[in-house]
Amino acid sequence: MKSRPSRPRVCRPTGLVLALAALVAATACKGGGSAEQRTEIRVGATLPLTGSEARIGGFFKEGYELAVEQANKDGGLQVGGKRLPVKLTLLDDTSTQATAVSLADRLVNSDKVDFLLGTYSSHLVEAQSTVAEQNKVPYVNGGGGASGIYKRGYKYNFGLLAPVELLGDTLMRWIDEQQQAGKLPRPARIALVWENTAHGKDFRNGVQAFAGRSPGGYQVVVDESFELNGKDFGALLGKVKAAKADLFLADAHLPDYITMQRQYVGSGLCHKVVSYGARGSEKGAVDALGQENVSYILSAVWWSPLIAAKGGLAKEFVDAFKARYGGRSPEWYQALGYESARALFAAIQQAGTVDREATRASLAALNADSILPGGKLSFPADKGQQAHYPFVVQQNLADGTAPIVYPKEQATGEAVAANPRCAK
Amino acid sequence: MRIAWPAPIPARAALPFAAAVVALALAPLVLDVYTLNLFTLAFLMISGALAWNWMGGYVGQVSFGHAALFGVGGFVAARLLLATPLPAPITWIAGGLAAGVFALGAHPTLRLRGPYFSIATIGVGEAARLVFTYWEGFTGGASGLSLPIVDGGKEALYFWGLALAVLVVVASWALRRSTLGLQLLAIKADVDAASDVGVSATFYQDLVFFLSGSVVGVTGGLYASYFSFIEPNDMFGFDRSISFVLMCVIGGIGTVLGPVLGAVVFVLLRQFLLASYPQLYLGLYGVLLIVIILFEPLGLTGLYLRLWRRLGGRGRLGPPPEPLAASTARPTAAAAGGEEGR
Amino acid sequence: MARFIDLAVSAVLLAGLYATMAYGLGLIYGVLRVVNLAHGGVIMMGAYLGWILHQRLGLDPYLSIPLVVVVSFGFGALLYRVLVRHLPRGAAGGPASLLLLFGVWLVLRNAAYLAFSGNDQVIRTSYSTQAIPLLGSFVSVNRLAVLGIAIVIPVALHLLLRRTYLGKAIRAIAQNADSCTLVGVDVERIYTVTFGIGTALAGVAGLLSATLFAFNPAFGAGELLKSFVVVVLGGLGSVVGTGIAALILAVVEVFAILVMPSYLTSAVGFVMLVLVLVLRPGGLFGQRVLG
Repeated sequence: MKSRPSRPRVCRPTGLVLALAALVAATACKGGGSAEQRTEIRVGATLPLTGSEARIGGFFKEGYELAVEQANKDGGLQVGGKRLPVKLTLLDDTSTQATAVSLADRLVNSDKVDFLLGTYSSHLVEAQSTVAEQNKVPYVNGGGGASGIYKRGYKYNFGLLAPVELLGDTLMRWIDEQQQAGKLPRPARIALVWENTAHGKDFRNGVQAFAGRSPGGYQVVVDESFELNGKDFGALLGKVKAAKADLFLADAHLPDYITMQRQYVGSGLCHKVVSYGARGSEKGAVDALGQENVSYILSAVWWSPLIAAKGGLAKEFVDAFKARYGGRSPEWYQALGYESARALFAAIQQAGTVDREATRASLAALNADSILPGGKLSFPADKGQQAHYPFVVQQNLADGTAPIVYPKEQATGEAVAANPRCAK
Repeated sequence: MRIAWPAPIPARAALPFAAAVVALALAPLVLDVYTLNLFTLAFLMISGALAWNWMGGYVGQVSFGHAALFGVGGFVAARLLLATPLPAPITWIAGGLAAGVFALGAHPTLRLRGPYFSIATIGVGEAARLVFTYWEGFTGGASGLSLPIVDGGKEALYFWGLALAVLVVVASWALRRSTLGLQLLAIKADVDAASDVGVSATFYQDLVFFLSGSVVGVTGGLYASYFSFIEPNDMFGFDRSISFVLMCVIGGIGTVLGPVLGAVVFVLLRQFLLASYPQLYLGLYGVLLIVIILFEPLGLTGLYLRLWRRLGGRGRLGPPPEPLAASTARPTAAAAGGEEGR
Repeated sequence: MARFIDLAVSAVLLAGLYATMAYGLGLIYGVLRVVNLAHGGVIMMGAYLGWILHQRLGLDPYLSIPLVVVVSFGFGALLYRVLVRHLPRGAAGGPASLLLLFGVWLVLRNAAYLAFSGNDQVIRTSYSTQAIPLLGSFVSVNRLAVLGIAIVIPVALHLLLRRTYLGKAIRAIAQNADSCTLVGVDVERIYTVTFGIGTALAGVAGLLSATLFAFNPAFGAGELLKSFVVVVLGGLGSVVGTGIAALILAVVEVFAILVMPSYLTSAVGFVMLVLVLVLRPGGLFGQRVLG
């Protein structure tokens, strides 16, 4: 008796797949022509609202929302004789590349936003900006500092974060100043320890480049990377100890900063200069480590609320932020988010239209007053449309303050060179 | 070794499948760009999941390290694209071959069975991630590699992705129905007995591992072209490895439909959840996994089959493929004890 | 020489940490033959538990150990009773147990995100950065405590396994569960208890980690992977083997910095994992039953 051949698994189920496809298609019909009567300006963005960078994503969200609120306060942006309100669509990209790109795709092609604001973290910005470039949508980001992002010749990508190499470079400049003043040894031995991310690599390159340009001034005796969220730095710090360095320069995220500094203090290490890159005066670190263990640490950041001490736009921003968020002071994350949105809005108003090309040109030509150090914001074409401006170097002092100590124009306090804790 | 070709495909099976393919090929005329891009991603994931399934479902060796193959394929393809004038499809194939060779390099682990193999693949995957993230010359280190944007690239990738997915579906189906498939089933059920009847575990496992790795590598290459930017933590990460496992288990491990369903669910459901309920996204996956493992080891395919039978489906579907358990161990303590898996 | 002592001290302290992490995983696998992929999630749970107790009640982490043990034990027992019990046992059930518990881990992670947000937390006490000079280098007080506990646990487990009825039952079941049913041992109950002990150990490991590191809901993944390495090296099921394997792994990782970049030293552990599995699946100590 011949048995019927068993039906291949593929047949009926393809009906299922087709049905699924049809379902998706039904919810995604092509068309949706743009309304002739424009009633709003649609801005889209994704941020890591959950996942590893959720804390910072939340900060950027605060900055974006404050800027949008301010823009809408008088009814919106002045565009071609009318006032159009800004509508911000914010999605959660969970710090994953594929999600960030897909959501950007959705914002542009499905939700039909006019412009995009950036997400946080260099690798996400680098991936997401390709969507903007392919679809010719202006993309203004305050979250991608790696210079590699801006070396691709993209026309629609505008970065507000100055290159991270400059962060390392600025720190070295301050150190150099101290060395010239005789407060640090010459040559100074540097122990360079950096997280293996785009951020850390760029920081390390900045420091190395500066050291290379100053013959006889610096010797990099340790140059090691570590894994993000690494738990044990015992061996690494042991290596630093054995190298008998004068300066300890690290680049780390907050949890690694906390863990490493704990182990640093716990193993009795002390260097004449200690820095963790952009980390230093965060409240979270002070709470976790105790004031005495973060004293005299230097940090170089893109923006500090202390800039507001000189008045101007920065002060207006800080006041507005405090009013909106219950007296809390903003950090650089909120400032960069705020400024990114504000730059976009300024460009739209200058262009006088919601047209993408016109706004792009307006952004490229932008030279506006800004809350950033230096007071001005522009996107120089020769730097790949990445803003360049001086970093500010802060130092944690024993009394709990963290004044800006460099550059002189922004300084609000005096630095203490040659870490006094080591003198003990 | 003779591979007998599977019985000629009855029209009843081929027609719906062909119709689906034609419909998908014509989809760009009616669907918007965003949906098409999602489909492209889905095609990539379908190919990757099916290829993983050859190891995990057919041979029964559940790999938690396939991200290594995905990453190798992607970076080799990307490097070739950047350094040579080779057209993209050639680089993808080159990436696939490189990944296949890498898989062969992991040959010693094939001797292990069950959870031992899985744990070994975790080790391989993690070691690969660390080494490749460090190896700046190859992967660009933590900064990753940026590829030049190709005009009309994403539209073309839709069709390349579709072609790849169709190819892999047909290959999976053919593999399942062929003598080779039977040999793999034998290995999965009992390695020693299989070798007793002349089915060399070493050779066949190597072959399938190579094929699985190659296809996953090709998928990696397409992935790189699609995003125009890849970085080692995303390509080689544990999350990537887990995603292959999730897609196949949720969809139905060991079947042909399973990984397809799983990949589609993975890509589409993810988008939907992230837009609407981002806070519950992880938990929902977890619950889905738990429910499937406990109640329906064949995942969504199993649910579908049950539904179909209940609705009085005609025709024999053949024996359902073995779910995760390599042998029918009873879920009581009696199954444990002296039984040691090697 | 000073460098060598520094590294050795680092290695021993690290070994204590690894051992504490790995005991729970090893016990569960040794007796139930289930790979507890939720181990990382329970570690994370223990960390958050200790953190809450410290935040709300001001309870010193070391004093909250008993509480964490009880809660983690309860969680593990519940987990076993509700979910794990239904898994097919042995090598046959391998991937299924892996994935079920992975699902549990995802749910735990999501629950933590909802309850605590993704922010990094850390437990800070007055002695968090205190260090004792020892052998020319400084040793953190917390690290010493972890080391101490890492030594106490196997001793306690050994006493449990050798001197109590429960211990005898556990060992018997690990050898041959069928026979145990025959002689009237309530196998399911013992399994529940063992799983609970395993998760209790994981919870304590998490609590101790919280005194050392900053953590967030994604905490536990790296720890889980390292625990795998330790458990496999030590021979699945041997408690003493786990301790020694932790020492070996720590020594290799720490001293590797002399010959390779610091970033790659973690890879060494994984390479060892693969080598041991391929060359000597019984682990370095070749024991397959509890000892």
